Amino acid sequence: MGGLILFIFYGGIVFFLVASVYRGIRYASAPLHVNWDIYSTNSIYAQTDWWTKSENPLCPKLGSMLLDILFLREFYHRNRRLWYPLYAFHVGLYLLIFWHLWLFVSAVTINIETASSIGWAWGTFSTVLAFMGAAGILVMRVVDEDLKVFYPPIHYIKWVFILLTLMGGIYAVDIHFKSDVPTLLKYVKEQVTFADFEHKLHPALGPALHVLFAAVWLIYLPFSHVFQLFFRYYHYLRWDEVANKPGSEVEKKVKEFLKRPVTWAAPHISPGETWEEVATKTRANPAAGTK
Amino acid sequence: MSRSKVKLGDMSKATEEPLVTMTAEDLMPLPPPVEKKETEPPILPLSENQRKNYESSLDGVSALMLPKPKGTQEEEKLVDRFLSGLKKLLSQDDNWLFWQPLMQTLDGCVRCQTCSEACPIYVSSGKQEIYRPTYRTELLRRLINKYIKKRGKVLSRLTGDDIELNWQTVARLAELAYRCTLCRRCAQTCPLGADNGLVTREIRKLFSEEMGIAPKEVHDSGTVQHLKVGASTGISPEAFQNMVEFMEDEIEDKTGKRIKVPVDKEGADILLIHNSGEFMSWIENPVAFSIIFEAAGLNWTLSSEIFGYEAVNYGTWYDDIQFARIALKQIKVAKKLKVKKIVVGECGHAHKGLVVIADRILVGDMNFPRESFLPLLEDLVLHGRLKLDPRKNDFAVTLHDPCNMVRLMGIIQPQRRILNEICPQFREMSPHGPENYCCGGGSGFAIMSPTNFPDWRAKISGRMKLKQILEAFREVMNPGVRKYVCAPCSNCKGMIRDLLSRDDLGERSNIRYGGLVDLVVNAMTNLPKPFIEWEQ
Repeated sequence: MGGLILFIFYGGIVFFLVASVYRGIRYASAPLHVNWDIYSTNSIYAQTDWWTKSENPLCPKLGSMLLDILFLREFYHRNRRLWYPLYAFHVGLYLLIFWHLWLFVSAVTINIETASSIGWAWGTFSTVLAFMGAAGILVMRVVDEDLKVFYPPIHYIKWVFILLTLMGGIYAVDIHFKSDVPTLLKYVKEQVTFADFEHKLHPALGPALHVLFAAVWLIYLPFSHVFQLFFRYYHYLRWDEVANKPGSEVEKKVKEFLKRPVTWAAPHISPGETWEEVATKTRANPAAGTK
Repeated sequence: MSRSKVKLGDMSKATEEPLVTMTAEDLMPLPPPVEKKETEPPILPLSENQRKNYESSLDGVSALMLPKPKGTQEEEKLVDRFLSGLKKLLSQDDNWLFWQPLMQTLDGCVRCQTCSEACPIYVSSGKQEIYRPTYRTELLRRLINKYIKKRGKVLSRLTGDDIELNWQTVARLAELAYRCTLCRRCAQTCPLGADNGLVTREIRKLFSEEMGIAPKEVHDSGTVQHLKVGASTGISPEAFQNMVEFMEDEIEDKTGKRIKVPVDKEGADILLIHNSGEFMSWIENPVAFSIIFEAAGLNWTLSSEIFGYEAVNYGTWYDDIQFARIALKQIKVAKKLKVKKIVVGECGHAHKGLVVIADRILVGDMNFPRESFLPLLEDLVLHGRLKLDPRKNDFAVTLHDPCNMVRLMGIIQPQRRILNEICPQFREMSPHGPENYCCGGGSGFAIMSPTNFPDWRAKISGRMKLKQILEAFREVMNPGVRKYVCAPCSNCKGMIRDLLSRDDLGERSNIRYGGLVDLVVNAMTNLPKPFIEWEQ
C-alpha cells in the first residue's frame, strides 16, 4: 500500500512536469494566428503611419498578467459577486503554495526545535481561507441559476474533491501532527532528505491521505485554467500589435503557413491546393453552393 | 416552449416548432418615446410558404433561407459534411489563421456567464437562453468532445457531452451563427479572455468553407459578386466615373467652387478607398472627404479600377478564403497606382479587415501600407490644417462607436478629440468607447434582408443601440432641438437609419444620422451654406 502511495505521489510529480512541458510546447508551437485582438485603450492603429511605430513594450503586459493572476482583476471588475469566494480561494491557495515551500526549506535550514508556531497559524489560516472560498463557489454553483448553466458534473466533483483535500490537510496537521510545528517539520525533513524510507513505505493515514490528494492535483494542474491564463497572455491574445514587417519573424511564419494545404470543400474553393494558390485564384464559377 | 426550458439538447429536437417564440413582453424595455410595449407588434412571422420551405425551427426566423432536406439521404449528407468541416476547423493546416484563439476559447471558458450580461442580443431579447454568448460555444464544444474526440460514455456523462447530432442540430446551429453580430463585447468582458464572438465566426466559416452555406447577401451578392465585378454593390468603373462627376456637382453646390476630384492619380500619397455603398446611399460622405482633403492640400486620389473603389470585404465576417482573395485584389490596385499608402474611409469592417486582419496574410511587397482615416483627420482638425468654426455645429451630437474601429482595433480617442473640437454640444453615449454597444447591423446584418430577418434585427439586435441613442438625447428630446448621431461607418449608418425609421422616430424627434467628415465639413468657415441639411 505504502509503495502504491509512493508510486502515485512521485508519479504525480513526474506527470506534472511532463504534462506541463508538453502543454507548454503545444501552446508555444501553435500556428501564428491572424491579428484578432481586442483593445481597451488606444492602439498603434490610432496613429498615422502606424507600421513605423514601435509596439507597446512587453513589461506592462507581463505586469498586467501578474496583477491579473494575483488579484483576479478581471473578475473583480466584471463579476464582483463571484470574485469574493473566488479570490478567497485563490489567496488561500497562493498562501498554501508558499507555506509548503516554507515547510520544505525550513525543514532543512532552521533549528526545528525552535520553530515558531506562526508556521502553524499560516498554514491553518490559508487552508481555512481556501476552504471558505471553495465552499462559497460550490454553493453558488449549486444555487445560482446563471452559474449552473452548462457547468458540467465533473466540475462539481472537482470542488468537492478540493474541499476534501483541504480537510485532509487539516486532519494531517492538526490531528496527526497535533498542530505541533517541530513534529511536522521533522516529518517533512525525513521526506525531503529521504532519511527514513520506512516512514515512506508505511505512512500514517493522515499524511498518506494528503499525499494522495496532492498527487491528484499535480495531475490536474497542467490542465487547469490558471495554466491556460498564462498562455493567453504569452500569445498576445489581447494586445497583439506585432506588425508583419518585411523580413520579420512574423513574415517568415506567414510565408510558411501560406504553403500549407487547404482541404475545405465548398464549391468556391479548390481543395488540394495551398493557401497561397487558393487565395490568388478565384474559381471560374464560384457558385453559392448546395444549400 | 418557454425560454427557461430551452436546453442545449433541445437543438436536436425533431420538431418544426421554434425553440423560442418571443413576444413584446419578453423584450428589454425602451425609453420614451417608444416605451409602450403594448403598441409593439411581435416579430413578423414567416409566411406559410416560407415556413414550409425554409428551416426556421430555432426561433421562427430565417436568415439563411436554408431549404429543408428532402429525405434521409440529404439529412445524412448534411450531418456528414458538418462533421467533415468540424474536423477541418480543428486542423492546424486548414485553420492556421484562427486555430489558436479558437482552442483557447474552447479550453478556457469556466462558464461564469459573465459575458451574457455584456451581450446586447441576449439582454435585448429578454435573456433568451439560445442567444447567450456561451450557448453556441458550449454546443460546439460538446459536439467536438463527443463526435471528434470521441470520449467514452463515462467521461461524456461527466463532462456533459451527451448531445445528439442530427440534421436539426446542424440547421439550427447554422441559423444561430447569424444571431450574433460579432461585436465581441463578450470577449472584452470575459475574465479569462474566451472569445465567443470568434466561435460564432468559426461556425459561420465551417458552414461557408465546407458546406457552401452562407447568407445570400453576404456570399452570392456579396463576396462572389465583389470578386466578379470588383464591388459588392455591382458598381462598374463607368458608373463610378459618373458618380465622381456627380460628386463634383455636389461639391460645387456646397462650396461654390468646382474642383476636379482626383481619380487614378499615379504616385499620389494617399489612395482613399470608400465603402462603395457610400456612393450609392450617402454620396455626401465621399463629397465631404473630397472637400476636406482638397482644403488641406493633400496629395490624394480615388481609383476607378475594379476593387479600387470598394473598401468592403464581407469575407471578414464568415470566410477566410474569400477574405484573402478580396484583400489581395485591393492591394494590387494600390501597388499599380504607385501610391504611398491606402487610407480607409468610414467603414468599420474594412478597417479591421484590410488594416489589421490582412496584415498576417500579406507578404513581401504585397504588405502595402494601410491605415484608418481617423488619425489623419485628427491631425488635420487639431493642427489647424482646416479653418473650422464649432458654432456651425451648435446642435446635440452623440457618437456611435463602430465595434471594428474601437473595441477591435483600438482607435478610440481621435474621433473624440475631433468632436470635442468641433461640436460644442457633444455628449457620449453610455457606455461608450471600447465598451460601446454594436449598432445591431454588424457582421453583415445591416445588408441581410431575407424573410423576417430585418424585423428580428430591428427588434432584437438593434434594440440596445436605439435605447442608447434615445438615452443620450433624453434631455433634448423636444423635436425643436436638432440631434445628430455621428456614425463613422457605412453599415452602422444603414442600421441606424432603420432604427430611426421605427414609428418615424427620426423625423418626429428631429434626430438625424451621418458621418464624422460631414460634421467637419459643416464646421468649415468658408462654406457659403450648411453642409448638413435639416428637414425641420
